[in-house]
Amino acid sequence: MYDKDFLERIKKEKEVWEKKHKDIKERNQKFETDSGILVKNLYTPLDVKGDYLKKVNFPGDPPYTRGPYSSMYRGRVWTKRLFSGHGTPEETNERWKFLYEHGETGFSAAVDALTFNGIDPSNKDGAPEVGTSGVPLYCIDSLFALTKDIPIDKISVALVVEPFTSAPVCSMYFNMAKMKGYDLKNLMGTTQNDILTMTVGYIPYKNVPPDHSLRLACDFIEWTVPMKNVPKWHPINFTGYNYREGGIDAVQELGFVFSSACSHIDNIIERGWKIDDFVNRFAFHLSAHKDFFEEIAKYRAARRIWAALIKDQYNAKDPKSLQFKFHVQTAGSSLTAQLPEVNIARTAIQALEATLGGCQSLHTNSYDEAICLPSKKAALVALRTQQIIEDEARITNTVDPLAGSYYIEWLTDEIEDRVWKYIDKIKNIGSIDKALSSGWLYKEMRDAFQKRQKRMERGEEIILGVNKYPMDYDPNCGIFRTNEEAMGIEIQRIKKLKEKRDNKKLESIFDELRNVCEKQENVMPIIMKATKEGATVGEICDIYREIWGIWEPPLAI
Amino acid sequence: MTNKKIRVLITKPGIDGHWRGGIVVARALRDAGMELIFGGFQNIDQIVESAIHEDVDVIGMSIHSGAHMAYTRQLFERLKEKGVENDFLVILGGVIPVNDFPRLKGLGVANIFGPGTITKDIVDFITNNIES
Repeated sequence: MYDKDFLERIKKEKEVWEKKHKDIKERNQKFETDSGILVKNLYTPLDVKGDYLKKVNFPGDPPYTRGPYSSMYRGRVWTKRLFSGHGTPEETNERWKFLYEHGETGFSAAVDALTFNGIDPSNKDGAPEVGTSGVPLYCIDSLFALTKDIPIDKISVALVVEPFTSAPVCSMYFNMAKMKGYDLKNLMGTTQNDILTMTVGYIPYKNVPPDHSLRLACDFIEWTVPMKNVPKWHPINFTGYNYREGGIDAVQELGFVFSSACSHIDNIIERGWKIDDFVNRFAFHLSAHKDFFEEIAKYRAARRIWAALIKDQYNAKDPKSLQFKFHVQTAGSSLTAQLPEVNIARTAIQALEATLGGCQSLHTNSYDEAICLPSKKAALVALRTQQIIEDEARITNTVDPLAGSYYIEWLTDEIEDRVWKYIDKIKNIGSIDKALSSGWLYKEMRDAFQKRQKRMERGEEIILGVNKYPMDYDPNCGIFRTNEEAMGIEIQRIKKLKEKRDNKKLESIFDELRNVCEKQENVMPIIMKATKEGATVGEICDIYREIWGIWEPPLAI
Repeated sequence: MTNKKIRVLITKPGIDGHWRGGIVVARALRDAGMELIFGGFQNIDQIVESAIHEDVDVIGMSIHSGAHMAYTRQLFERLKEKGVENDFLVILGGVIPVNDFPRLKGLGVANIFGPGTITKDIVDFITNNIES
């Protein structure tokens, strides 16, 4: 990036400087990033390699290292989108409206474990968990209740469901929107639809095998975007965040995400579509973890890797296909149950990483995350944290303000190199469903979280209040409790629905779904019909299970 | 007692798939020389059945779903029905607020290990309470 003579001068002067200070002792023998990259004492122009225009360039221009858009936050700030859901759809609607009134600009539905796993509340195995970890969305009536009085034509909604339930839950949302008179052609939102979340990020309860999950994810992508049924929707959000929370590092996070994206692209291209027909609607969801500079470098590296991957390996022609756009969630696993107020500071620092790294959308965690679901007050503090960055700290004044920092540019290069190597490693295992069914990804996860646990227990990874200055839990801290009546309310909701729907008509729709599943055709058209007629998520998922069988993940202990 | 290895069932009641904690603990107990049965997802009937059939000393339930009161209550009801409520050391782990510890202990839980637990503390607790 600099001319030769200039670098020669710096090199000489640096040697002089090093000699002068060689006897000064440092605190540690080595300093390294969270992912184990060795960090030098100082970075200078000597560490910044390559051509600025090729590697960094201007925002909105390839390889988009500085951002997908030319104006970034000067044009439009990130979407303030809190992941939120509890109790019943009505209670979640209240919380959503409360946050909206206080400046939230996007919604994200955290669903409960039954919705996630395609289980109706009449199933005794899951009944105690109705509404305890998210909002129950078992049938179309719940979607009407969730979005009551919310202008879903103006504000985007993220539905955090995975391939196993993305078709039933999102078809309920689309049908609800249509019945309310909205045109699906203009509807904005995101479906997480991420196979790895529901396999290695979180263990699936009676889900179907990975090859079917991958196909279900691609059915949804195909039906919404290239088939143009909901063309402005983000049909998939590769959620590195969820497996990062399991203990893997920043390099592995990007490696998992890009390898998974390639398997989905390959599947959709096999169906006869071209890369530019769909890939510009792909979205990503990354973590903002503890290592401040490493996370910022990670976002910049991710943009550059994606542009190269899509251009060089898939020959995309549309510049939009090369733009890496992402949501960030601050790291829940970095928070402590001890002195939870300290989590406000942790989250604020992580939110700065996300915004200095150029995210398009952001969830900030509530300080009570390590104890319970977010209380109203804790959620508001989390929202205000984002608003401080937006309205008070003025970090949005210029685009990619850390570009040109010798350390940041060097670290961006370093992460990029390591991610490419990791992508190659996964490629040798095979497509993402094979990396799952062979157990390879589970072993990577297990090794990562065992290693992290040991580092934590040896005090190498410091957690304040836990392994440094340890303290007890505070028995007087406030707890947000979800509605204990939720199970009864949801069982009643489904009972009423079953009384009013045309059960005979549904039976024949279910037979058609069985047929579609057996032939492995796109499930979306028939599921749109089914949920409009009042089919529940559990009923549809039971048909998947009946035809494709239940998968036992190869957990490595 | 001292010649016999301590046998532990680590299980996840219900359908919530947050798995990291349970596996970290399972591995730590195995590394400490205990015999480990990993139940995975189990309903309460299956947990009690496994505990009896496998003749375990300890039942460890990993719960992150917020439904810890309901599952613990069900567990002790079922153990009582079978007349084995005093046969096992029951411990819990997961995202469980300290405010609920007294009620859980009142039901019969020996100890609860929340976020940030050092696994050695679990090993020591089990060893001290089974051997004494």
